[in-house]
Amino acid sequence: MSLKKQDDMDHNAWLKSQDLTAIETAFLTTLIWLDKRLRIVDYLELLETMYYRANLQMPKSHTEQYDLDNKFWYWYPLYSLGSLSIIAYLLAAVSGALLGFYYAPSTAGAAAQGDPTAAYDSLVMIMKDVQFGFMLRSIHRWAAQFMVAAVFLHMLRVYFTGAYKEPREVNWILGVVLIALTLLFGFSGYVLPWKQLSFWAAQIGVELALATPIVGEWAAQLLFGGFTLGQATLVRMYILHVFVLPFVVTALIAIHVGIVWVQGIAEPH
Amino acid sequence: MTDDTTPMTDGGTDEEARTDGGPPATVPPDDETPTWSERKERSQGLAQLTYQYFERSRREDEDLRAESTYVERDVLGFPTWPHETIRNLAITSFFLGIMLLVAAILPSHFGDPANPGSTPAIILPDWYLYWSFGLLKLSPINPGLAVLGGNIIVSNELYGLIAHGVIFGVITLVPFLNKGNARRPVEEPGWAALGVTGVVLAITLAVLAIQNFFPFQLELLLSLTFMLPVAAGLITYAVLKTMREGYMYDLNRRYYMLRPPK
Repeated sequence: MSLKKQDDMDHNAWLKSQDLTAIETAFLTTLIWLDKRLRIVDYLELLETMYYRANLQMPKSHTEQYDLDNKFWYWYPLYSLGSLSIIAYLLAAVSGALLGFYYAPSTAGAAAQGDPTAAYDSLVMIMKDVQFGFMLRSIHRWAAQFMVAAVFLHMLRVYFTGAYKEPREVNWILGVVLIALTLLFGFSGYVLPWKQLSFWAAQIGVELALATPIVGEWAAQLLFGGFTLGQATLVRMYILHVFVLPFVVTALIAIHVGIVWVQGIAEPH
Repeated sequence: MTDDTTPMTDGGTDEEARTDGGPPATVPPDDETPTWSERKERSQGLAQLTYQYFERSRREDEDLRAESTYVERDVLGFPTWPHETIRNLAITSFFLGIMLLVAAILPSHFGDPANPGSTPAIILPDWYLYWSFGLLKLSPINPGLAVLGGNIIVSNELYGLIAHGVIFGVITLVPFLNKGNARRPVEEPGWAALGVTGVVLAITLAVLAIQNFFPFQLELLLSLTFMLPVAAGLITYAVLKTMREGYMYDLNRRYYMLRPPK
């Protein structure tokens, strides 16, 4: 009798005893190899659930049940504004990440007042030299415009169909917060090219912050990096635009949609 | 290290397995672990209130379910795959296509580099902030106090900021002010009229922000800024009130067709 440890479950022998095609053999070998290391079998149930979830039938909705389809489909575009804003947000995120490869948040390089800075030059470079760069910036800008427009119209749709009523008050407030953050997203992005309009828009921002009692000066320091505009302002707006807001807004959108999922869509009737 | 130290894996006692400063690192035996009902009895204060409420709400659910005549049955519907998925993909590609098309045919404007030394004649944010910029141009109606010799109480900037706060505050409070089951604008003409007032106000404020482009006198523009929304609201109210008659007639007729009076 051999001293070698007996393999209770000789999967390879079982594999050989089966009459399998090459594809099936390769698949099973890989599966067994991975399962021995990662114990996929423990997660199989989750995978199974996911499979059946994906093949779920959507239940008959309120509109279908009461035969309101003819009216509902007429208004359907107004009910897809929320997803339009998410699609625009994703498009802006992708194009923005690509633009980020070329953009430099720096006010260096201006010999005299009114000379182009490094930030401005990097935008000129994106528009003139980078392959596809002009289109990329255009896509980013228009995606942002579409997102803001969709978010506004989405709020109007929710208002005029009374979709904010109990039990959806929390999501309405979350939506108001998301609109404010979207506007802040737009504002911080507007400052980044460091052109005349950007600069003076930021100037109005600083003046507004300074006009606020008690927290005003602190807010100006935090958001604009001081009371006069400069390198610090640009970097803060940049970090706000590409680091802080993306995380916060993405998380809030996830919660916003998650609550809709949990509570169900407020359907028209 | 002294030689009487026993390695922990070698049958060391609890005394040796003790963590820094804490009690012996042992798990209480099963019969010492409190069950959920025991925890509930032991708990006090907010934890106890939470348990009590959860119990009530669970009982409420059970009672409602027992009373209900609802029978769960299979419903006919669209399968997620392929119907729903294909429809969502179609909508997504339509929107993406529109955005790419607009981006291709309407490239964005690019202005002069920033110059802190020269203020441009026209300062404007993006279009979606025009309403906000309009609120900052309300200085002509910033009230002055006669006691102070006509001096304003709050600075014009702060006045604009307060206006922002009021608008965001009102919007946030909407679900707590407007209750009930009504969904359609015709069912609540007042709230629909308020909504239209708000939308038109946003537009007139945007016009106020770009006042340089309009050959009006500023006073007229300011009056219009507040009169037009109110007028639009009143018209909406009148129209919806009128529509409501016919709408309710139709609804009642359908109701009595379905459930004729005995």
